[in-house]
Amino acid sequence: MCFKNLPIAFDDEGNAYLKEGLKDPYEHKVVDLGEEQEVLKGLLERNGFIRNIDYDPVTRVAGALAFHSVVDLEKKKVLSTNSMATLFRGYEVILKGRDPRDAAYISSRACGVCGGVHATTAALAIEMALDIKPPPLGIVMRNILLAIEYLYDHPLHLFLLAGPDYSEELVRETNPELIDKAAETKAKNKDVHGYDTVLDIMKDLNPLKGKLYLEALSMTRVAREAYVLIGGKYPHPQSVVPGGLSVTVTASVLNEVYSRLIKFFDYSQKVTGIWDDVFDFFLESNPEYAKCGIRPATMMDTGVWDRPDHYDASFANCDKWGEARWSTPGVLVDGEVVTTKLTELNAGIEEFVEHSYYEKWDGHRFKEDANGMPLSPNHPWNKETIPKPGKQSWKDRYSWDTAPTWDRMPMEAGAYTRMYMTAKAQKAPASKFLENTGTSMKIKVPKHFLPEKTLEWKIPEHWNAFERNRARAYCIPYSAMVAMENWLLAMDLIKNGETKVSVPYEIPKKGTHIGFGAWGAGRGFLTHHLIVENGVIENYQIITPSTLNAAPRTPWGEMGPYEEAVLNTPILEKFDKPEDYKGIDILRAIRSFDPCMPCTTHIMAKDSDHMVTREVTTCACGVE
Amino acid sequence: MTQSLANHFQGPIPNVFDEVHAFWIAGGSCDGCSIATVGATSPSVENLLNGTIPGAAKVILHHPVLAVNAGEAFIEPFRLAAKGELGAPFVVLCEGSIMDESLAAETGGYWSGLGADEDENGDPQPIPSSSWVTRMSVHAAAVIAVGTCATWGGVPAAANNPTNAASVMDLLGEDYRSILGLPVVNIPGCAPQGDNITETIAAVLLFLNGLAPLPEFDELGRPQWLFDETVHRGCTRAGFYEEGTFAEEHGDKECLVEIGCWGPVVQCNINKRGAINNAGGCMNVGAPCIGCTMPGFPDSFAPFYKTPPGTMVSSNISRVTGTVIRNLREMSMGNLNRTTKWDKDGHVPSGWGHVKEPNLVKKVVKYAYQKMQFSDSPKPGSK
Ligand code: SF4
Ligand code: SF4
Repeated sequence: MCFKNLPIAFDDEGNAYLKEGLKDPYEHKVVDLGEEQEVLKGLLERNGFIRNIDYDPVTRVAGALAFHSVVDLEKKKVLSTNSMATLFRGYEVILKGRDPRDAAYISSRACGVCGGVHATTAALAIEMALDIKPPPLGIVMRNILLAIEYLYDHPLHLFLLAGPDYSEELVRETNPELIDKAAETKAKNKDVHGYDTVLDIMKDLNPLKGKLYLEALSMTRVAREAYVLIGGKYPHPQSVVPGGLSVTVTASVLNEVYSRLIKFFDYSQKVTGIWDDVFDFFLESNPEYAKCGIRPATMMDTGVWDRPDHYDASFANCDKWGEARWSTPGVLVDGEVVTTKLTELNAGIEEFVEHSYYEKWDGHRFKEDANGMPLSPNHPWNKETIPKPGKQSWKDRYSWDTAPTWDRMPMEAGAYTRMYMTAKAQKAPASKFLENTGTSMKIKVPKHFLPEKTLEWKIPEHWNAFERNRARAYCIPYSAMVAMENWLLAMDLIKNGETKVSVPYEIPKKGTHIGFGAWGAGRGFLTHHLIVENGVIENYQIITPSTLNAAPRTPWGEMGPYEEAVLNTPILEKFDKPEDYKGIDILRAIRSFDPCMPCTTHIMAKDSDHMVTREVTTCACGVE
Repeated sequence: MTQSLANHFQGPIPNVFDEVHAFWIAGGSCDGCSIATVGATSPSVENLLNGTIPGAAKVILHHPVLAVNAGEAFIEPFRLAAKGELGAPFVVLCEGSIMDESLAAETGGYWSGLGADEDENGDPQPIPSSSWVTRMSVHAAAVIAVGTCATWGGVPAAANNPTNAASVMDLLGEDYRSILGLPVVNIPGCAPQGDNITETIAAVLLFLNGLAPLPEFDELGRPQWLFDETVHRGCTRAGFYEEGTFAEEHGDKECLVEIGCWGPVVQCNINKRGAINNAGGCMNVGAPCIGCTMPGFPDSFAPFYKTPPGTMVSSNISRVTGTVIRNLREMSMGNLNRTTKWDKDGHVPSGWGHVKEPNLVKKVVKYAYQKMQFSDSPKPGSK
């Protein structure tokens, strides 16, 4: 029984039904945030050491994110937090009434950071709605393309966006006591990265000048070269189509991709070694760091990388093909797997706009899915977005992001969720390179210049900023080995003469066709929900990872993941006067999520008089 | 001429400006143009930012994604530049479309914000991104719109959009001139090829230091050397078009026009330059062009991946002429796949397959062909 809060029960055969006897099955509490604000106001007026700490913009995140907090600089405690998406573009409105063929290319523009995942997710949504099954090589090449995307995305985040927070330059300013310690701490993984002490590593993390920073920049380009050999360009690949890919796969394409992929074998060993050394150093130097950005491991993921022998795009089989993916879809509540089924993942999603610049919509068109599983009026298939820009107010509305929940719980998303779910659920296919133990993922990295090595990512005890980043580092070998496995599969398919990469399809002129696409962005969970009515798009809704992570409070007052993570963060920075306070701990907590705001908000106009249905995307690229 | 040539060989590389600030303002964008810039290699961002290009000023970049500072510390230079008090030359780089903030203001809000000011109660209220562009443009050495959203409006300005999005050019108007006397410079593409961005910036920097001529721009402010030609002219599949052979499905190797390519009427250089470090490029890999560099994008090219009506005429003409040409070429190619020795021996000693000897017709054609080829020059080996 995976739902605890939604009114969905299951009979003996496992069929879902709506619990009976409830007057309003989807009602929820509404909490007035005004009181909390009054208390804070009093505190701020009375105490000089309690301050508003505002970041607008939060930098080194993609897109428009602002963050408000009230901090007690004497007790070194965060008292209150608000996360704000500060941009709205209206893509869902734009998609409405268009030919479904436009969805991949228009929705791709939701986010230029995760350059190809929106196009892919849109293609999947159309494939489900219109019953299109791509040929095996199309599926496999898509896997390679989207695994390579992460090989660009994760190093970019680790070294360019989050990395500077752990660099010698910044740490010297905020926590000089750690510098001497780092100079004396021997790096444990010298054999793979060559650095003697932790301070040597931290120096090379310095922005723009450090060797590790510059190396990461050039590795992102290696990955992107491999990417554009299949995608044409990055961001916004031109080759992703419903039914497969528009790519001429030749021996040269596969060779040129492979020549770049293998560069990530040694780099995988190096990056994981570097971050293990740096994060272990922080956590050992001051155990309080384990609380930086801490929150329960309550997260969800769509899974990614379809098996060519399982994926048929259908809703009817989506639980089966979903569980067969190289990364397992599902939901974790406090570190425990509560479901791995795409239908349950889908049915549990709702979106709330009580603290966002949108009006509430009416209507409940889809009361259940094709299997009879109940769907809430707040489910993306039922949602409409009615944007209403307004004044920023902490007790009322303060973000262009909505508050999505699963089974009425705010959910976190991330690349790391992909690995966490997969390691824990142990449902992913047997593999030459990957082994899921239930408590860890073992990744066998073949030799390149360095000898072969099995890397092991272990599910951590505490879910904090350091562990998010560490897990993201291990997602580099994970993605590289999925790419490798699929590259070998592509070779096999070609040997067998299965060279087709796409199937033709027609847009039905009549009828209602609904579907969803579920595929991981660089930052995790991403869904597109689509309704095609008489040949045109009737509704399009996007939920991105940052839609989940940057969420404002739920109507019943629960904080979004950034808000919760920052509230739990102790202030460990050293400063003499409040004016010198930089907020490094808060920023580390926020950045560990890899915020990406561009796709966090999208809307779709319901009709010409500017009624808008909002599509939620999970990354920062969605706010229009 | 002699004097300036002489200058070339003496003295240091001129360096009038050591540093130029660049403010990156993202409006209604997806950050894709920033990502495109980070992918560039000729020159790379780290070269521009570290001042390692002799002759080009070091760029002090104020970019939200790459900045070390956050919040007000990050915004302060923006405030100075907007007041004309920065005390150093700067360019403004705009990514993303300009939203009509008057619409959002009707209900007391905003569409796109950057930084915050305090309202009458002392609460922070976001500052619309477009107001930065307007205020800073007055003091800027150049305003460069990067990407189709900023240059023309792009996807956020597509039909039905709720924000009334438009371009930087629309915002600043045709009379706008920067300190250098330039109207808005436009580098389109969704996202642009990264080197197109960094190359244009470098060209402006080299110009500022007197090293390079003022770059040429076309009537829409596009760098003329980058956007002069259609992407079709540089397409790796253009030969298939000429010979009248067309892809029927995604994945086929021929010209993509009948599965939706708009290349013949789109100004873009991605097929010649590649997408990243000379690799990739839309049609190079097999993906049709949807015109993402053009002011008409996206609506004039939709629905995507449907045969553009304009090709009906031209692709059918090339189907007719191409069939003839292709056959003639195949005949020539047969000849060119032979050595003089094999001709003499009357046999090709290949273990890979049996190569047919040319029949009489082919021999006659070859004879006539060579007569023309060497009509006024000696045939190698004939003397
Ligand atoms: S694929 Fe497009 S650009 Fe290339 S030859 Fe065909 S029509 Fe021209
Ligand atoms: S070829 Fe077409 S779709 Fe590709 S980048 Fe150029 S204009 Fe855009």
